[in-house]
Amino acid sequence: MRLPQGRLLKSRVVSDPREPLAEMLDRRVTGYAVFEPQDSLLLDADGRGVVTFTDGVPVVAYHTGSDRGGPPALADLAVPGPYHVSIFELDAADLAPVHDVEELCVPPGMPAERLAGDPALADSTRRAAPAGRPTAAGAESADDHGAVEAFLEDEEKISAIREQARQEAKQRAAEWGLNDT
Amino acid sequence: MVEVFAVASGKGGTGKTTSTVALGMALAERYDVTVVDADTGMANLLFHAGLSEVETTLHDVLADSAAVADATYDRFGMTVVPCGTSLEGFRDADPSRLREVVATLAADTDVILLDSPPALDSRAAVLPVVIADRAVVVLQPTIPAISDGLKVQEYATSYGTDVAGILFNKVREDGIESVAEKTERYFDGPTLEAVPESERAREARRAGRPLLAHAPDCEAAAAYRRAADSLSVRDGPSDDVADRFRSAVIPEPP
Repeated sequence: MRLPQGRLLKSRVVSDPREPLAEMLDRRVTGYAVFEPQDSLLLDADGRGVVTFTDGVPVVAYHTGSDRGGPPALADLAVPGPYHVSIFELDAADLAPVHDVEELCVPPGMPAERLAGDPALADSTRRAAPAGRPTAAGAESADDHGAVEAFLEDEEKISAIREQARQEAKQRAAEWGLNDT
Repeated sequence: MVEVFAVASGKGGTGKTTSTVALGMALAERYDVTVVDADTGMANLLFHAGLSEVETTLHDVLADSAAVADATYDRFGMTVVPCGTSLEGFRDADPSRLREVVATLAADTDVILLDSPPALDSRAAVLPVVIADRAVVVLQPTIPAISDGLKVQEYATSYGTDVAGILFNKVREDGIESVAEKTERYFDGPTLEAVPESERAREARRAGRPLLAHAPDCEAAAAYRRAADSLSVRDGPSDDVADRFRSAVIPEPP
């Protein structure tokens, strides 16, 4: 997926994807957000996730590491650690070519609901979505779990999350004196 | 017999307290059940069980200024140990005394449910999972909730606590079966149930009553009852029940 360089609005590290999604919606930004995982311990941390927006509502998702688009790209960009997020403004006309690619599209509420785990933000996003895009919760239910299912199919990533948690648990048990109280 | 369950989730907002109280009420039809608000930093079980006005709570017990019996209340067919919400109460409480509290309660009940903090970032936050025999992991069908649930499982099993099952909660759409089936592959316990999102649960919380008392016939209440039915309570060793929890430590790696 190729996009012209947009105008950088903001660039910072966030602990989870909710914050930039909420900000895009609040400011009704037309443009794109680039998510770059900060934790390189995870296998899928290679590459960046890109989500485009029209008036603050997500339209397409793409991951440069996996070269996948649509709901699976949201799964690819999901990591437990912090992200470096850059938000760019870009004209709707420049976004049009990628917005026309159906395989890249995600339902408007899916990033907030499934990637950020925030149903209230997902509902606000769906309400802000223009007519012609699936807006009601029911309308996008057919593929609504798509990102979650793609995440669950990524056995390597899940093994990495579990392994990292196990190491953390052992290390912290020692720090917290849980081994000898 | 007694078995201690930590009702846990890595992430807040999964409806853990609603689930703890609902599972407790459902299990109370078969067992003598005690529910404990082990989320001592962000207690809210008292609001779900109509106990917001009580004077003595787990905070006082953890501060060694009250006996366990003084902080237990019989409500809705269960024994409830609420926790206070004041900052002072939290500051004065010694979370490590939770072992002693559980050991004391264990002498006189069949099932203990520990409503656990939605975090893994401190000793106090993981202690309920360390003390418990098994954990019930509460999930929502989202990537962060499942990731965090996996982390809870890995902490639990690293600390010698088994996973009794996973409970999907606040489910809003169709298609959960497929997500549950795929999720189950990574968890050591089965999917106990998928509880639908429920306006009744919000009403119950506002009314300060457990969901199963407020709207016993609603779909979510029925789902919680099915979840409780599929949870087989194991007999822990009964000879040294109290010692089991007093001495709960992380097992040495083999």
